[in-house]
Amino acid sequence: MTCLELRESLVEAEDGSRPEQRAHLKDCPECAALVADLIVIACAAGELRAAHEPSPRVWNSIEIALRQEGLIKPQHSRHSLLPSFGSSWGWWRWLAPVAALLLIAAGIYVRQHSHSPTIARIEIPTPEHAAVSDPMIAGLNDEDLLQGISQQSPALRATYTDNLERVNQYIKDAKSTVDADPSDEDARRSLMEAYQQKAMLFELALDRSLP
Amino acid sequence: MYGTVALRPPLRETEGESSNRMRAPTIQLAAISAVMAGMTVASLAAQTHKEYRYNVGPKAGVSVNNPYGSVSVKPSTGNFVVITAILASDKVEVDNALVGNRVEIQSHLLDGANDHNARVDYEILAPADASVTLHSSAGSLHAEKLHGDVDLEGAGANVDVRDITNAHVHVKTLNGPVFLTNVQDGHVEVDSLSGNVTLKGVNGPLVQVISTSGAISYVGDFGDHGDYRLTSHSGDIEAVVPDSTSADVSARTVRGEVHDDIPLQPKQHTSFVLKEGSAFWGTMGRAAVSSTVVLRSFSGKIHLRKRSEK
Repeated sequence: MTCLELRESLVEAEDGSRPEQRAHLKDCPECAALVADLIVIACAAGELRAAHEPSPRVWNSIEIALRQEGLIKPQHSRHSLLPSFGSSWGWWRWLAPVAALLLIAAGIYVRQHSHSPTIARIEIPTPEHAAVSDPMIAGLNDEDLLQGISQQSPALRATYTDNLERVNQYIKDAKSTVDADPSDEDARRSLMEAYQQKAMLFELALDRSLP
Repeated sequence: MYGTVALRPPLRETEGESSNRMRAPTIQLAAISAVMAGMTVASLAAQTHKEYRYNVGPKAGVSVNNPYGSVSVKPSTGNFVVITAILASDKVEVDNALVGNRVEIQSHLLDGANDHNARVDYEILAPADASVTLHSSAGSLHAEKLHGDVDLEGAGANVDVRDITNAHVHVKTLNGPVFLTNVQDGHVEVDSLSGNVTLKGVNGPLVQVISTSGAISYVGDFGDHGDYRLTSHSGDIEAVVPDSTSADVSARTVRGEVHDDIPLQPKQHTSFVLKEGSAFWGTMGRAAVSSTVVLRSFSGKIHLRKRSEK
């Protein structure tokens, strides 16, 4: 099994548990790291879902947004706007929108905590909460995203690298402000917006207008 | 070869050569001009102009997805959409279709396409009530004189939106600058990571700008009863307003500075500590028709200024 075949096979078994996947992962640290990241993201998503299930309206809005983006639009024409698994972006072309959605979910999570100031004042972020957000900051495969951009549009790599650094700093600063005063609604809002900015960066990287 | 002619360093000057001193640059300029003209002619020869026309119903949709090149949308005089496309080469083609009441346009890159030869510049005329969705990675995006929703997105796209009324205006850029001018009664949401955002005469129920490091400039009166939120992590925020403005304004920065040139009626109760130099909160004008204005940054400067009347 090649790296490409493994990545394509992750659509069906994302945890790399199939024997042929395991055989490849044993010898390929790069793919093993990717699968590990996928598992982290999946777990984080599960925790988020368990902690705060967004209202149906949120999912509906996401669905509408995805339809507007053409990502789940029924095929009208012969030229599909859906990213192809055979393209050079490969499977992670799908991972990044998922990551973007997870970031939005993290934003919703943060936002929900800011809705009630009374609750916010008595709620101190637990280590579990930090565990949800930290991998989402550090484990979003920034490097994978940049590698994909390098392959697809090398000229844009420097721009994305620069902006990734900026937005990661934004998240870091916003987190430190929230940590300093967890009851500060503005700080929480800033953190949500920082996550949204990073989600937007992933969205733009995967923008269907990219060649 | 041409570069050698153009970039050759000047020879050491001798008495005999001095008479040629004025002539050499002239020859070089002529050579460069000839080369440039040749390249322009060759480039123009490779260009293709195409035009498409669709009849549409009220509140039609127009969607353009163009990796390289500009897209400009202006109002048409009836219920039709006219697309004029200038293709840089045969490495790109235009796919277009009318799906229901929506015109979909896609620049389709072919083998060997790159950012130069795959450029397509679109000029589109659409009914003023059309909803417009434009995507481009690098070209400029322009929409004007519309009252349908406008959704513009592009990593490095320069975005220019003007004379829009009663519509949602959504803009997303990575580092491309954003200019919004004369957007009335809009639901405006601008997200830009590092591009500067300039709003002039923009008002409506919601005007929100979020940036990571871009500067935000607002020039206008904040309308009435609107919700205005301008946020930048490290970029500066400047709001320039006339005397007649009515607004509840709060400004807050963590590590930057705030400057307020306009006397505000201080608020009795605030939800955060008003630290001198890093936050202010008050009302200007008539409280009954006030908009809510929130200016926030982490390390950028925030400046509320009065517009000088001429």
